[in-house]
Amino acid sequence: MTSLKVEIVTPEVALWAGEATALIARSSDGDFTILPQHTPTVGDITPGLVRVEAGTEEVAFCVHGGFFQVGPDAEAGVTRATVLAGVAERVSDIDVARAQASKESAQAQLSQGELDETARSQVEAALARAELRLRLGGASR
Amino acid sequence: MAGGQERILRRRIKSVQATRKITKAMELIAASQIARSQARIAANRPYRQGMQRIIREAALADLSVARKMMAAPEKVDAALVVVIAGDRGLSGPYNSSVLRAGERLINSLAQQGTTVRLITVGKKAPAYYRFRGIEVEQTFAGFVDRPEFSDARVIAAALAAPFVAGEVQQVMLVSTRFVSAGSQVVQAEQLLPLSMPEVADEAPSTGLKGYTEFEPEVEELLVELAPKALESEIFSALLEGAASFHTSQQRAMAAATDNADELGQTLTRIMNRARQDSITTEIMEIVGGAEALRSGK
Repeated sequence: MTSLKVEIVTPEVALWAGEATALIARSSDGDFTILPQHTPTVGDITPGLVRVEAGTEEVAFCVHGGFFQVGPDAEAGVTRATVLAGVAERVSDIDVARAQASKESAQAQLSQGELDETARSQVEAALARAELRLRLGGASR
Repeated sequence: MAGGQERILRRRIKSVQATRKITKAMELIAASQIARSQARIAANRPYRQGMQRIIREAALADLSVARKMMAAPEKVDAALVVVIAGDRGLSGPYNSSVLRAGERLINSLAQQGTTVRLITVGKKAPAYYRFRGIEVEQTFAGFVDRPEFSDARVIAAALAAPFVAGEVQQVMLVSTRFVSAGSQVVQAEQLLPLSMPEVADEAPSTGLKGYTEFEPEVEELLVELAPKALESEIFSALLEGAASFHTSQQRAMAAATDNADELGQTLTRIMNRARQDSITTEIMEIVGGAEALRSGK
């Protein structure tokens, strides 16, 4: 019996954990799919969509960059895949209106200039997050 | 006159009762915060453990890279010390014990001829060290009760910069670890170079170690990974510090409430006696006066 346990975790909360048939995401080396019995792997995850297939159901997550690890679980025959993300949410939880608002405020701040280097990179990161949310959240509706 | 003493006592009782109300309220608030901060530690645990697994995996895969980033430095000329204390007082020994532990570490490092640079977290810390003539290089405050991950990120950036620039060879963290509701321990640990985490790992050592694949390559990955691991460690220290703070405050305020109860009781007894005395005196005076009038007739 082989199976796959998937965990999607952020520092603030464990978003999802359970049995799955596949984990689909993209690393800096390209798209990949993790199935049961996958070889132990460690890698990064580029900002984008992470999908978990659990039986007939599919759960989609919006992950703003992170890492993943695949390895054998304590239980024999079980493969464990962990996705660690600084910021992530379920695509169904994305607040499109809020993302739009934060995108606009970030753009306004950037166009005004007058930001020092750290502030600018923070605003740019916020803008990138808002755009990703809009891209993924807008598509699902 | 006795009535004056009674009034003074009544005022003191009122003030003790007002204080008791405040300490009781603080106790209840702290108690409710304990549960919340403990839940946040639990929510953070999978992330922290996952991060430690990855770091260990990466370290085992490429020892030469790992040694550069993780080995204990041969000679520490300058070290950075981070102390996590509280923003508020009235929390029993929480602040003083962590601050004193920080001071001890600073002194022992200084004795070994190491230049020490100090970064503090929490409003209570800078005053303590400045008073003792220890310079505080940078200080963060205002979020210690309810830390967010972004706070940890800011602190991590401040710590990593001098280490990456080679200005310091070691970064030490002094914080209070929340072992359980009954036990919090002040601990000093090395943050940078990253220490190899002793993961209480559920996974069996299948002999597959070192066969892990990496994408991208370990070296590239560690550059990305190391700052994240640092953020994760700081965040968990902040969360545990917050939980310890609330636990300590709850305990201190419960003791203060008990003391106020006892003091109120004692004062009430003294006041009752004083009132009784004054009544007795008054009756004696009235009786005496009546006697005098009657005998005068």
